[in-house]
Amino acid sequence: MRSIYNTTRVLFALGLLFSLGQCDKTPEVTEVIPYNETNLDQNGGNWKTYVLANGSEIPVAAPEAAGSAAYLTELTDLKAKMAAATSDQKAIAQFWGANGVLRWQEIVRSLCAQYNAAPKAKDDGTYSSPDPTKPLELPRFPFANPPYASRAMALLSVAQYDAMVATWHYKFQYNRLAPYKNDSSIQPLIPTNDLPSYPSEDAVIAAASREVLKFLFPGEKEFLNAKAEEHKNSRLWAGANVQSDLSAGDSLGRIVANRIIAYAKADRMGQANNQAGVAALRADATTRGFTTQWTSRDLPARPPMLPFFGNVKTWNFDDATKVSLRPPPPPAVGTPAFETAIQELRNMAKTRTAEQWHIAAYWADGTGTPTPPGHWNKKAADLIYAAQYNEIRTARAMALVTTAMEDAGISCWDTKYFYLYPRPSEVDKSVTTSTGIPNFPAYTSGHSTFSGAGAEVLAYLFPASKAEVEAMANEASDSRIYGCIHYRFDSEVGLSVGKAVGGYAVQRGKIDGSE
Amino acid sequence: MRIKYLQNYFLLFTLCLGSINLSAQSPNDAIMMPRKNLCTLVQYTHSAWDTYWEGPNRRTNANLGTVTTQNVMLMFNYGITSRLNVMAAIPYVWTKTSASYLSPQDGVQDLSIFAKYQLLEKSVLGGKFKIQATGGLSTPVTDYVPDFQPLSIGSGANTASARAILNFTHQTGLYTTIQGGHTWRSNITVDRESFLLHDILYYGNEVPVPNVFDASVRLGYIKPKFQAEIWTDYFTGLSGDDIRYNDAPFPTNKMSANSVGAYAKYYFGRLGIQASYNQVYAGRNAGKSTTISGGISYFFHVGKKPAVN
Repeated sequence: MRSIYNTTRVLFALGLLFSLGQCDKTPEVTEVIPYNETNLDQNGGNWKTYVLANGSEIPVAAPEAAGSAAYLTELTDLKAKMAAATSDQKAIAQFWGANGVLRWQEIVRSLCAQYNAAPKAKDDGTYSSPDPTKPLELPRFPFANPPYASRAMALLSVAQYDAMVATWHYKFQYNRLAPYKNDSSIQPLIPTNDLPSYPSEDAVIAAASREVLKFLFPGEKEFLNAKAEEHKNSRLWAGANVQSDLSAGDSLGRIVANRIIAYAKADRMGQANNQAGVAALRADATTRGFTTQWTSRDLPARPPMLPFFGNVKTWNFDDATKVSLRPPPPPAVGTPAFETAIQELRNMAKTRTAEQWHIAAYWADGTGTPTPPGHWNKKAADLIYAAQYNEIRTARAMALVTTAMEDAGISCWDTKYFYLYPRPSEVDKSVTTSTGIPNFPAYTSGHSTFSGAGAEVLAYLFPASKAEVEAMANEASDSRIYGCIHYRFDSEVGLSVGKAVGGYAVQRGKIDGSE
Repeated sequence: MRIKYLQNYFLLFTLCLGSINLSAQSPNDAIMMPRKNLCTLVQYTHSAWDTYWEGPNRRTNANLGTVTTQNVMLMFNYGITSRLNVMAAIPYVWTKTSASYLSPQDGVQDLSIFAKYQLLEKSVLGGKFKIQATGGLSTPVTDYVPDFQPLSIGSGANTASARAILNFTHQTGLYTTIQGGHTWRSNITVDRESFLLHDILYYGNEVPVPNVFDASVRLGYIKPKFQAEIWTDYFTGLSGDDIRYNDAPFPTNKMSANSVGAYAKYYFGRLGIQASYNQVYAGRNAGKSTTISGGISYFFHVGKKPAVN
């Protein structure tokens, strides 16, 4: 019996040792901490907007004076709310205190990842399609593929940015001091600054983000309403805004969002999935001499992803510029230049090294991820946190990055469906891949175009990180060759067009009044 | 050669949908290797499925066709004493699909080592009742890609396991075995910036792999030269999420499967030949795989006296 006891004890010890710290299989999350915003960007209200005419276009009524009975009542209410705040509510105040703009960017990346799932084939060989009127039925609406995600992130960021410009305009017009400046008995839970508090930038961001994301992800209305409510209330629990700061902010954010949604309804995304037009696209490409055309590698053949996304309205340049950015044709299939390119992939498929596997996988950013635009969105957010930007400067940086990203997607999709160039594995089945073959033509590489644009804008915003982001873009571009889903010329040309696209956002940044 | 459970056991460590059907079990484990005896086994296994469960939903996938996993495994079992055996196994695994463009995978997978201890042996009811316990560890020995489902050759996790085995063998040769085990699996590092678990996006490349519980019931007949048995087996992940809608499996998925199988072995002196068959009939986030295997074993005696089975 003793040996049973001993053995059992050893086995239990072994098991315990191994399971220590991993009984709970929930990954740890590193939280960002609220920081002190030193630069207030007092002239932010004059910065150049995207969709609004300017920061003063939407009227915001003047607040009650600091000495007014109404305001004093608000301060009393605020102190009561702070005193009643639970530990959970205090934690929520910290969470939203660490840059509300970026919190909503986290939400859009997360939604894109969740909704990034390709519809299933039906028994009759056709594909089910997401239904915007039943967004939660499978396949959920929307299918947040890379073009969709790039547009979602751009619309959110433009709404946040235009709303922040308007907010800054009224903050410095009315100059209402923060509650803790008006009443020294208020000890806020988050770092303080000299920014005027009316209207509340957090309430504006919450409302603008909530409304735009409800438009883009109609199945998430309850979730988004709850998040926005939490964000707004966090300012009361933190002691950072009185109720009228929040109410004015909510109203302003909502109005700006409606303007962005009106823009989105007219940006031609509604026609981007016009499958009936594909035959004409193919005929046009044939007329141009591109006879070996891409066809879907999915079984059964899947309708091409957003064949008219290339027609969607760009942010930082016009349609004529888009056409001028379209690169020259790729080498015709069968020519020596083509043979060189495909031979590289034949070899790659056979001899892919561990390092090439790692790189191809890391940048794959396929279904279930926030897509390549999300990957660059996260990089931008990390750089912004490190630089401790305030909300308006954060919103500007995110708008520059994300509009460049959508422009890159539009530009690339225009090229893809102009040439309808086949994937390597279509031409030679021995070219096996380390990642799924995307359901659209090869030339040029979308990852490369997105990454070129992202790196170009981030290098402008964060010169100290130029070498790093350019190396990232090069690696992302190469990853598609390692994965054998792109020819080298797809990646190289895509990267170079991406940089040019990003250059237009940089030009805008240089004249938007923020420098 | 009495270590069949080990050869099955390693399959738990592969997350490949095709490789999960045989989990830890074996009546014969209840019979220990005699002291100073070494048994070696070389075994080939072929497992394939074209139907799988995406979450609870059974489906096929024209983009995969049939997913096939093969392996050749080398195993050793040594009797330190008649009550304490140590074992080791290492497989070479090949995976492929019939329809996709995805690169086939192959390579040396995980090294497993086990110790088995006989806690009790008692003569009762015209036979013998035995209780044994095993503890095991495994670790990947090559840099294979664990996040390339369903073609990854293994889970990439380090594991530790604990297992209890109850056996009753009647003097006629009829026997029954009930066994159950728990496997702890470490987090793994994948080549991703972020990943979804339960539809929540996490940033980082350290992914939790569910721990596993498995159990089986076996009925068989054993004589010095011959053995045959049938079994039913169940295993399940103890945490984790479902395969996402129309997506590839991911290491966080909670897999489970029920299977039935049969096994036979014949000895020619020190040489043994064996074959087995296993069929998954129900599951979740798992392949409905059919598995066959065949192997050759050989006994050595390390020391003075020749091995007697």
